[in-house]
Amino acid sequence: MKLDLIICGVGGQGNLLASVAVANYAMKKGLNVIGTETIGAAQRGGSVVSHLRISDEPIYSSTVPAGAADILLGFEPVEALRHMERLNPGGMYIINIEPVPTVLCNMGMDSYPPLDQIIEQLNRVTNHGVTINASDKARELGGIIMTNIVLLGLLNHVSDFFDKDAFLEVLQEIVPSKAWEVNKKAFEAGYQMAV
Amino acid sequence: MKKYIMGNEAIAWGALESGVKLVAGYPGTPATEIVDGCLQGEGVYVEWSANEKIALEMAMGASLCNMRSLAVMKHNGTNFSADFIMHLNFTGVRGGMVLISADDPGGNSSQNEEDTRILIHTYAHLPLFDPSSPAEAKEMIKEAYVLSEKTGSCYVLRPVMRICHSRSSIEVLGQQRPEQEPDFQDDRSRFVMSAVTELKAGGKLRPLWRHSLLNQKQAEFSQYAEESSFNHLEKGEGKSGLVGCGIGYTYIKEAENRLGMKFPVLKLGTLPLPRQKVVSFLKDLDQVVVFEELEPVVERLIKQICYEEGLTVKVMGRESFLPGEGELTTEMVVKALTDLTLVDSQASAALRSTIPVPIRTRTQCVGCQHRGLLSALKQVARKNKAIVTGDIGCYDAGSFPPLELQSTIFCMGSSIPMASGIFKTGIKRPVIAIIGDSTFFHNGLMGLVNSAFNRSNLTVIVCDNRTTAMTGFQPHPGSGVNIQEQEAPHLDPGKLGEALGVSTRIVNPYLLEETKAALSAAVNEEGLSLVVSSAPCYLLNTRKNRSALFASRPVKMVLENCNGCRICITDLGCPSLYYVESEKKVHINEKTCVQCGLCADICKRGALTL
Repeated sequence: MKLDLIICGVGGQGNLLASVAVANYAMKKGLNVIGTETIGAAQRGGSVVSHLRISDEPIYSSTVPAGAADILLGFEPVEALRHMERLNPGGMYIINIEPVPTVLCNMGMDSYPPLDQIIEQLNRVTNHGVTINASDKARELGGIIMTNIVLLGLLNHVSDFFDKDAFLEVLQEIVPSKAWEVNKKAFEAGYQMAV
Repeated sequence: MKKYIMGNEAIAWGALESGVKLVAGYPGTPATEIVDGCLQGEGVYVEWSANEKIALEMAMGASLCNMRSLAVMKHNGTNFSADFIMHLNFTGVRGGMVLISADDPGGNSSQNEEDTRILIHTYAHLPLFDPSSPAEAKEMIKEAYVLSEKTGSCYVLRPVMRICHSRSSIEVLGQQRPEQEPDFQDDRSRFVMSAVTELKAGGKLRPLWRHSLLNQKQAEFSQYAEESSFNHLEKGEGKSGLVGCGIGYTYIKEAENRLGMKFPVLKLGTLPLPRQKVVSFLKDLDQVVVFEELEPVVERLIKQICYEEGLTVKVMGRESFLPGEGELTTEMVVKALTDLTLVDSQASAALRSTIPVPIRTRTQCVGCQHRGLLSALKQVARKNKAIVTGDIGCYDAGSFPPLELQSTIFCMGSSIPMASGIFKTGIKRPVIAIIGDSTFFHNGLMGLVNSAFNRSNLTVIVCDNRTTAMTGFQPHPGSGVNIQEQEAPHLDPGKLGEALGVSTRIVNPYLLEETKAALSAAVNEEGLSLVVSSAPCYLLNTRKNRSALFASRPVKMVLENCNGCRICITDLGCPSLYYVESEKKVHINEKTCVQCGLCADICKRGALTL
């Protein structure tokens, strides 16, 4: 088997933790895992993308080739659009629909594309996709910081690769213990949001 | 035990497992975490040096005492250290010494892209390892220490960003503690590099003699490369071969897997090249393609071997057949094979967006202390028609829209001497240089010294946030703390300015009017002026004590007063302000605003008010 994931968003959205959680889970299943991420400007509102490659065969490159991603997990709509060329026509996308506007969009010098146009673009690759407002759900449950956890919950529901209980065990190991209960709640909420 | 870790941490473990005693570096993406990773060792001295050349010189000091040492830097740091490298290659080392020069092909986190193999191998003639994976990088650094001591030469590991920043499961054995006693022995004919006559070399001048010794060493380096397990041959179908250098090898393997084909492959991880392996690979082939990051270094060496051996193999690569710039990819290998009609047309199924995707430019964080300074500076520079030169650090985002303030960004410390050069042309405009504190201590200080000495009429601004924020908050000589979080002397840029006899002002950048007044006075006075914009990094302090930075000043939006002039956006550029085209009005994003209140100081129409 192989599972290539792209997790993309904006610095500070917690996509690295999401990527580490999925990697740890895959390793626990005895699979080979290689990942990579762009960091550096990540803390200052730049684009951040993590590549995660999982396989029972040897993996050589840490980057997911164009057209190969089985899952595109977009923490932000425009970032999903930016990386759509990675998506495999047989794959699926998951998008958190809350936009993080760019500086130029804020200035009124660039326009943020409407959500339906972004979805339309992704649907050119595959119709298999889910959109939710994970940021709102996270806020409602105690903080936008848990957006990544809500999305992991959803990811667990929509992909056969995951076993929820086993994944939660892995997640518990990397989430600070005092925040575990609220994070578990966020995960469950995301899990239930799957259409 | 196996750990899922970053390539940089794997490299750090390679050094720790080799019993490294001293590790010195300067932060720079993609190499930074190697130094942090070495903190896991016991009895290892680790430091953030003021700059990379100092880090390399530190490592040499430890090597002279027969201890293993490591210097860590990104490609720009290697450039900066070039003068020392061009002596170190002549003298050789005592204790095992490794230089890590991390390259960033594609310039994902850099001001430029380059291939430091040229500086290390072609120019300095030092042996180099080019890893294809983090696990191999870890093995290479261990081998490098062994060979460094066998040959008495510094070895270089050149990981690229995709090695440094990849994560994989790595076997970690645990640290080998550096137990032996340091021992310094004089050997002046090696370590005193000077134009003196060397009697034991028949009266040759020492630089010439040491150069000839370095040339003789090449055979030894080559022999080890020949025996190295980091180079290997793979059999395959056909008369077309693929050469994979470092990470280039991984893209070849991915392409083979995707296409379900097996080509003859030569995997290379060393410089110098294993000449016999290369020849035995070439002799049955008609053509080869060399995949390497980033320049045609190995491609040209293979062409040279072909010429010398009388082989008529066609050699292709970065010289002209492949793109001459940017990162390699699996797609590039597939395309090369398609172009050579070795595989059927493999037009990528990947689809790109057909609607414009907004660019996400880097900017200052909401609440960042640089925003007040940049805003004040933009207003003062505009009024005085000043030219502003920039430097490397978070504040460099002031050169991007919406502020578009700094007119130049080159390399560490260039802002001040460039400003000085602009002034000395006699131009009738004020000149301002803006530089961060870590960059100032790296190499900016000497620019200030030079400007003071040569009587330049400039304003130099040091953005003093007490940390190297851009790379993840590494301490520097102005931080008052070292890498072990021990208290350290706090070098104050303002006091250095006073010591140089420079007119010095200290401002709090959260106080906009005060900052503007200080900048205005500095720009309009004769002689060299220093303005230190002093406030700790906001992002770092949100983890500690945010309220110590500024008093919370909630801003109200009075929409009827907003005429859509957008000065708050063009002169402040806070990501928490946004313009709504349909209303022609600006709004505050309450979800992200941290109530620094600066926008209320900018708005003169009473739309953003306290």
